[in-house]
Amino acid sequence: MPRVSVIIPTFERPHLLARVVASARAAGADVEVIVIDDASTDETAAVCRDLPEINYVRVERNQGVAGARNIGIMVSTGKYIAFLDDDDLRLPGSLGLQVEALEAHPEAGFVCGAMIMADQELHPNGDVVRPRQSGSDAFWELLELDFPVMPLCTLIRKECFLRAGLLNRHISGVDDWDIFTRIAELYPVLVIETPVGIYRQPTPVSGQGSSARAAQLRVAARHQLKLLRLPRAAAAPFRQRRASRKRMMNRISENLLWTALTQYLPHGRLRPAYANISIALSLAPLSVVRPGPYKKLARNLLTKMRLMKA
Amino acid sequence: MPKVSIIIPTHNRPRLLRRAINSARASGSEVEIVVVDDASSDETAETCRSISDITYVRVDRNQGVAGARNIGLVASRGEYVSFLDDDDQRLPGSVNKQIEALEKNPDAVMIYGQAIPEDPSGTRHQPYPAECPQGDIFWELLTRNFVPCGSAVFRRECLSRVGLLDEGISGIDDWDLWVRIAEIFSIAAFETPVMIWRQPTRTSAQGSSCTVELIEQGRRRFRQRWLKLPRLTSATQDRQREAWRSFSNNVSEHLVWEAFSALGKFELRYAGKSALTALRLHPTALIDLLRRWTSASTLDILLTSTRTRGELANAKAHFKRIRSSRT
Repeated sequence: MPRVSVIIPTFERPHLLARVVASARAAGADVEVIVIDDASTDETAAVCRDLPEINYVRVERNQGVAGARNIGIMVSTGKYIAFLDDDDLRLPGSLGLQVEALEAHPEAGFVCGAMIMADQELHPNGDVVRPRQSGSDAFWELLELDFPVMPLCTLIRKECFLRAGLLNRHISGVDDWDIFTRIAELYPVLVIETPVGIYRQPTPVSGQGSSARAAQLRVAARHQLKLLRLPRAAAAPFRQRRASRKRMMNRISENLLWTALTQYLPHGRLRPAYANISIALSLAPLSVVRPGPYKKLARNLLTKMRLMKA
Repeated sequence: MPKVSIIIPTHNRPRLLRRAINSARASGSEVEIVVVDDASSDETAETCRSISDITYVRVDRNQGVAGARNIGLVASRGEYVSFLDDDDQRLPGSVNKQIEALEKNPDAVMIYGQAIPEDPSGTRHQPYPAECPQGDIFWELLTRNFVPCGSAVFRRECLSRVGLLDEGISGIDDWDLWVRIAEIFSIAAFETPVMIWRQPTRTSAQGSSCTVELIEQGRRRFRQRWLKLPRLTSATQDRQREAWRSFSNNVSEHLVWEAFSALGKFELRYAGKSALTALRLHPTALIDLLRRWTSASTLDILLTSTRTRGELANAKAHFKRIRSSRT
């Protein structure tokens, strides 16, 4: 079985490291664990020295997640690359499963699996996010943010980075979406239904990178224009590109409105609600009058009422 | 495992590339040559396949010079790394000698050397830089980039400590990397020519041809990133101001020189653009420059007189003298 390099960027969370490293090692037969210490100023270095058989790379100046992952790709020796965040977990044997899938389909660029959602203490909350078996072309679905894929649940062939380029450091937070879209432009995407990792869901106060969702979505909206210039998208008819852009804008603003309506407004958190709504309005001015989020909200309320009756 | 990886990014220049590869091979023993073909649309691929014992990496989507160099870093394995542009040449044995010198100096992570500039017509000039400072050269590097990209050989491990090249600033990505390396580490120099450096002209379509754009980019980088490097933020205010002043003086000198040389070739538009950029970006530096060039005591005194009362008195005396000499 070929070697897998698991790249774990970390920044000042030493207490989580032992657990995540152990989970990575248990996930496959020949695993090289690379911990990229992104200029932590605490005892991360000391903790890593005690961890057996890891490749510890110290970065002196903070590079952000994407820059740290790029350094990890540079020092890796495996044929396959898996990204793992320091607060998530890999399930035992999951890398083996994904390697098998990629070996069976040598044309595919990466494989994604399902993720178990968990709270801040990593207790599963019952949700499992399964990647949809992509209808026809994962590239277009990714381009419209319609194909939920997280670094945690993917295994990538290293040669993809040589053909499509490394991660983009200037769009932190959505660098993973960007690289998966660029790889999917060149390679088919594989999907397996089995859960491969446990994802610690960010809360607005957890200080995880993905807490600032609204800002990220705005960056994604801007960056999609660049992705639409990729040769395969550029070769598509103008209509298709425009439709794709429109769907993306609507999806983002609906998502932002939904978050504002369900998470911020009911708890009286006016400032983030205002930020979300104004970004949604700036991206798709008509989104507030579109029925999508309200329908969903009504449906949710109905189910809640029914549950209360029962 | 090869000792040194020479990374050659290339884009649509198969003829020059062959020369660069041959020169790289002759420059050292245990050399791994990695050619990163940055989405060329011509016969670069065939040319590279016909050359044996090189690592050929084909990038399908154009990444720019910095992105291609980064991909070369991922695809190479050597303990030492050197970049070479596809139109430049390494001198025979130069990489070996540089590594030898670097190994004698365990504190340094990088060694650079001189480059012989060569015009497209083939005439060669004095080696650049004339003097090679070494050791802690952070402050000098902040002012100007005197490290020719192809002349540097560095240890791979230092890249994982300061980060890879920045793809967003192709053209000055090497300068940015030297600054980041020099901020933390000591840099050695090898005061002998190690490469031949083909000089860009505005028509040669090299990345570095648009000096004005590069300068603007460098200026932005200085203000947005370099000023925030821990070494600078912990320095005294005077030191920071001094760094910025010498940077802008150097930039405006460069622009003015650029404008004059363009004037000589009757490229009026470009000359105008350079001069205007200098005026727009660094008006004070330009005045400084004029002062140095004209060395007119009047201008000098006018400019400095406002600073202290004593100087003001001097200035008055000076003008009195001028007036009396006229009458």
